[in-house]
Amino acid sequence: MTDEELIAEVRGWLAANWNPRDKVQAESFGRSPYQSFLEKVLAAGYAVPSWPKELGGRAMTPAQGRLIEREFAAVGAPGAGQDRHNLWANTALAYATPEFRDEIVPKLLTGAVGMCLLYSEPGAGSDLAAVRTRADLEGDRFRVNGQKVWTSGAAIADYGMLIARTDWDVPKHLGISFFFLPMKQPGIEVRPLRQITDEAHFNEVFITDAFVPAANLLGPLNGGWKVLQTALAYERSVMGDAARGPRSGKGSPKGDGALVELAREAGVLDDPLIRQEIAQVTAWKILNRMNNARAKAELKRGTSSPIMSLGKLAMSRILHQEARLRTLLLGADSLLEGPDHPRAEDANFLSLNAYFTSIGGGTDQIQRNIIGERVLGLPKEPEIDRTMPFREVRSG
Amino acid sequence: MTSSLSAEELDAFLESLKRLLADRCTEGDVRRLMEQPGHHDADLWARLSEMGVPGLLVEPAHGGLGAGPAVLERAMEELGAVLAPTPILSTVIATALVQGLGDEAVSARLLPGLADGSTIAAVALTGPAAKWTAESVAVAAIPEGNGWRLDGKAAFVLHASAANLLLVVARAPDGIALFEVEAGAKGMSVAPLPAFDRTLDLADIGFEGVAAVRLSAPGDGWAVVEQALDMGRVALAGEQAGGTRRVFEFTTGYARDRHQFGRAIGSFQAIKHMAADLLLESESAISAARHAAEALADGAADAPQSISLAAFACADAYVRTTADSIQMHGGIAFTWVHPAHLYLRRARADAQLLGSSAAMRERFVQQLGG
Repeated sequence: MTDEELIAEVRGWLAANWNPRDKVQAESFGRSPYQSFLEKVLAAGYAVPSWPKELGGRAMTPAQGRLIEREFAAVGAPGAGQDRHNLWANTALAYATPEFRDEIVPKLLTGAVGMCLLYSEPGAGSDLAAVRTRADLEGDRFRVNGQKVWTSGAAIADYGMLIARTDWDVPKHLGISFFFLPMKQPGIEVRPLRQITDEAHFNEVFITDAFVPAANLLGPLNGGWKVLQTALAYERSVMGDAARGPRSGKGSPKGDGALVELAREAGVLDDPLIRQEIAQVTAWKILNRMNNARAKAELKRGTSSPIMSLGKLAMSRILHQEARLRTLLLGADSLLEGPDHPRAEDANFLSLNAYFTSIGGGTDQIQRNIIGERVLGLPKEPEIDRTMPFREVRSG
Repeated sequence: MTSSLSAEELDAFLESLKRLLADRCTEGDVRRLMEQPGHHDADLWARLSEMGVPGLLVEPAHGGLGAGPAVLERAMEELGAVLAPTPILSTVIATALVQGLGDEAVSARLLPGLADGSTIAAVALTGPAAKWTAESVAVAAIPEGNGWRLDGKAAFVLHASAANLLLVVARAPDGIALFEVEAGAKGMSVAPLPAFDRTLDLADIGFEGVAAVRLSAPGDGWAVVEQALDMGRVALAGEQAGGTRRVFEFTTGYARDRHQFGRAIGSFQAIKHMAADLLLESESAISAARHAAEALADGAADAPQSISLAAFACADAYVRTTADSIQMHGGIAFTWVHPAHLYLRRARADAQLLGSSAAMRERFVQQLGG
């Protein structure tokens, strides 16, 4: 099939099956409001075009898949390109038993089940391999006990992708298993987690004598660390830039001149120190765009780019510095908050929410380790807990 | 797109430039030139000229390669990486000044020599205030007989010792104008300056009733000067980006090789995290320099803003990287024989030439609408 034929086919299909007026505010975690449409997308082979036919794909090339994605994006239709983006389905495809895969993957591709991530714990943040939630085999199921944190969508999820310790007498990376844990059961309690921004986008999940069928194990028993790496890779490729801007949105001019406008409104644009700061923060933002554009171009030319690893550090620096600058512009007005003080609300929110980027998904310090080790080839620090049985590792 | 060379031609050009520099501009060569008056390597300049480096901006009709600023910037990255002591920066500014005049007779007379490297130009531009602005021009020009006479001072003139062409930016009754002065003209005093970057040939030039030929048309010509300065800033940004990357590379290399406490010092997070931060500096400098050069080559409306950004981003990245490099190396980089301080000296010089980082940030804010 030529590209032109494919494009014509997809356009025709979308014209017949997608009504842009159906568009609703999409939820990223709960069940999809587009279920019936997504079933049609899957049946037509557009959901996972690069997968083999028996799994709902059409054995297409990645380039053809992107053509389909582009046509879907052009009319705002959901559901294409899930072979690249659907973290849940890709992880299940790679590691679930054939029986569980055939049961769960179609549901994941059609949004028939809601999902959440059960990775981090109070004692296992950056050091994820230190998880202490335990899963003990009892017949054909595992009994699960422990506590998870930073879980989005836990209250509405049908399954959670869970890492739990299944062997305490081996080094920490070797005793972890990966499960699809059913969330709607008595042993699971979800509590919203109030953040420093006074919002609650995440939850704590308390797991007390909950059960997961042994059939829901992904990968081998105690082989969960490798499954997790696959899942994390998909998550990173999807997350891209998760940073959010100021909260109110109303009081915030846009574009590269935004900080100039804010300084003018605050009557401090003639302060030479502030002008220097505006130049610096704005430059960092533009440099980040330039870096991303160059990384993309280099990727296209077939050369890998070290720039890809830098986005998070760059973004953290921008957000924290912009928060400081906005506070500087406001002076004592930054004492206030609430809808009547949108600029203060923005500056104060940003100064707290910047940590979402500099801590979330691994702290900036961990990211510097990753850059140093994987990009620059610097040796790792010796890890004293890498070889000892996890039972003897001090953590928490 | 942004250059007359295809991607393959550009790669081949840069590859042969790298080979030439690896062969003819080693650290030993740089150190030898530091000790010589004028710091000019005539042989290196001749070989660069054979490759067409001085004439990258000059159109083929006047003997150049006509490759434009984007290729110039890439060449400057290579020259900057090895601290090449050449008069390329003042060649670029002189070329852009002549081209900016748009006078075919002047172009036909001056550009071929600039393109083939036989003309080495010095440009007397800023006065002792050293801001590279119209206000800081401190040479006055008044009509005298059939020509003009110049009086005043130019400061921090690059490559005056090796130059056989002197262009002077002076204040005439009708505004800023460009003049040509014969080498060794009567009333002119060239006072070499002791430069902190010892590869740099810097001089103050005094003018007392110096006879000069006016090159620019009547009316204020500052816009032409500013354009030429911007071309110089693009070249300088390339030099800074190339130097930053080279310093970053040898510093991380040292962090992998040097062992203390029984392990590579790069395994310590104190060093590793500095390296990660410097990668961001280094890559951002390259992005900024290349973007500015391409914007200028494309005649993009935001080119001047991109140039301001590149000017301070690259200057700051180079200074920070060279400074941190010394700290990361430890004692070895506190010695004269280690090259780190040569790069720090160049970085500190480059951060002042053609306008300071702070001045470029101020210009950038104005371009943002402030």
